[in-house]
Amino acid sequence: MNWHLVLSPDNVRRLLIGDFPGPLGGVALTLVLSLLAMALATLLGLLIGYLRFAGNRPLRLMAAGYVELLRNIPLLVLVFWAYFAPPYFGYEPSKFVSVLVALVMFNAAYIAEVVRSGLLSVSVGQVEAARALGLSPFQQALYILLPIAGFNTVPAMTGRYITLLKGTSLAFLIGLSEVTEIGRQINNRLLVAPVEVYATLLVIYFCLNRSISAGMRLLEDRRRFNRLFCRFAR
Amino acid sequence: MNHLDWSVLLGEAGHLLAQGAVVTLELSALSLVLALVLGFLMGVLRWSAAGPLKPVCWLYVEFLRNTPPLVQILFWYFSATVILPNSVLLALRPYGFPFVAATFALGLYHSGFIAEIVRGGLNAIPRGQYEAAEAIGFSLPQTVRYILLPQLLRIIAPTLVSEAVSLIKNTSLALAIGVTEITYQARYIDYSAFRGVEALAAITVFYLVLCATVAALGHALQRRLSRNRRRLA
Repeated sequence: MNWHLVLSPDNVRRLLIGDFPGPLGGVALTLVLSLLAMALATLLGLLIGYLRFAGNRPLRLMAAGYVELLRNIPLLVLVFWAYFAPPYFGYEPSKFVSVLVALVMFNAAYIAEVVRSGLLSVSVGQVEAARALGLSPFQQALYILLPIAGFNTVPAMTGRYITLLKGTSLAFLIGLSEVTEIGRQINNRLLVAPVEVYATLLVIYFCLNRSISAGMRLLEDRRRFNRLFCRFAR
Repeated sequence: MNHLDWSVLLGEAGHLLAQGAVVTLELSALSLVLALVLGFLMGVLRWSAAGPLKPVCWLYVEFLRNTPPLVQILFWYFSATVILPNSVLLALRPYGFPFVAATFALGLYHSGFIAEIVRGGLNAIPRGQYEAAEAIGFSLPQTVRYILLPQLLRIIAPTLVSEAVSLIKNTSLALAIGVTEITYQARYIDYSAFRGVEALAAITVFYLVLCATVAALGHALQRRLSRNRRRLA
């Protein structure tokens, strides 16, 4: 085995941060891309899921159309749309932006479905009680729907975030130097240690995704969530 | 800006895309069969495993599910030359080595998900069902055939169908190791003929139709599996 070649100090540094202080790469770029895409996909997914749940008929149809369209095409095709198509219309997107847009649009469709099922899990009585108390639709969404649906959907959201992080590996196909691309470069230079290089990548992704699961598990239980994050809320 | 010319899809580009579509369908079908076989096997094993087998099954499922399919494809493709003996590699050559590697990698990746689906389905069947089967003197094959399988398939059919759709979508990743499936052809058309938008539109429609068809077939199958439900209840 050639582990010492693969895990040389230089290679480890490149796998972790790429060519920083030049352009950021490696695990760091994978994390930046994932976290940014998670935040944006969650916001877009919340919007689309809420529209499909509570919008008027045309809005509901549009949201449903978005979800069905995006869920039935591969993420890779979306990445290619975001990267190869804009130049035909005179716009050159950066690789990072292309991948980010594709990841957000793709995962928002799935998150919208999670959000919708979460909203459907809130019992009618809760909403009726909120209305009887005179809460505005915005207050209902913020104080009643969001907390109840939010905690119900944590396990499903964990799955979506893991899929999203796995999806960032597609960025290497258009040459963005996240961790898979760095691994490929190391493999191309060494040539004698493919098993070690790709096993390293697999272990890195495994650890990242298990961390997401562990982090999300902290949010799963409402009492523990309040204890950890809302100590002064009453 | 150059203008879109949809007629290119009728010429050489269309021919390439049609060839790619065939490869995509073959790759999907073969890896789906592999994923189902391995997935059912590991699902039953993970459901019934005890002792030292338990962590092994856990690792199998969790490792496959928590790493990117793309990296798994690359791993198997580049590692096969190291892991497999030369005679096997030579025997696989006529089938196109990248194609074999992609089939294996995708089948393995989705078997992890299918194993969890099967395990969940088996857990959802109430204990009383087995006890009742035993009480009326069913043998093990009879229990599996008449009690277990009908209920299991009914429970897992919807998730299994969405997993199949997900597998079809993931076949696009095989282009990373040079399998000439339809997404590969679209990228090639973009590089060689600068008709990327037309080609991408064509493959988007292809995937939409294919995935929607599989989903519709799945729903039909699901209705068929559930048709006796009321009568039994």
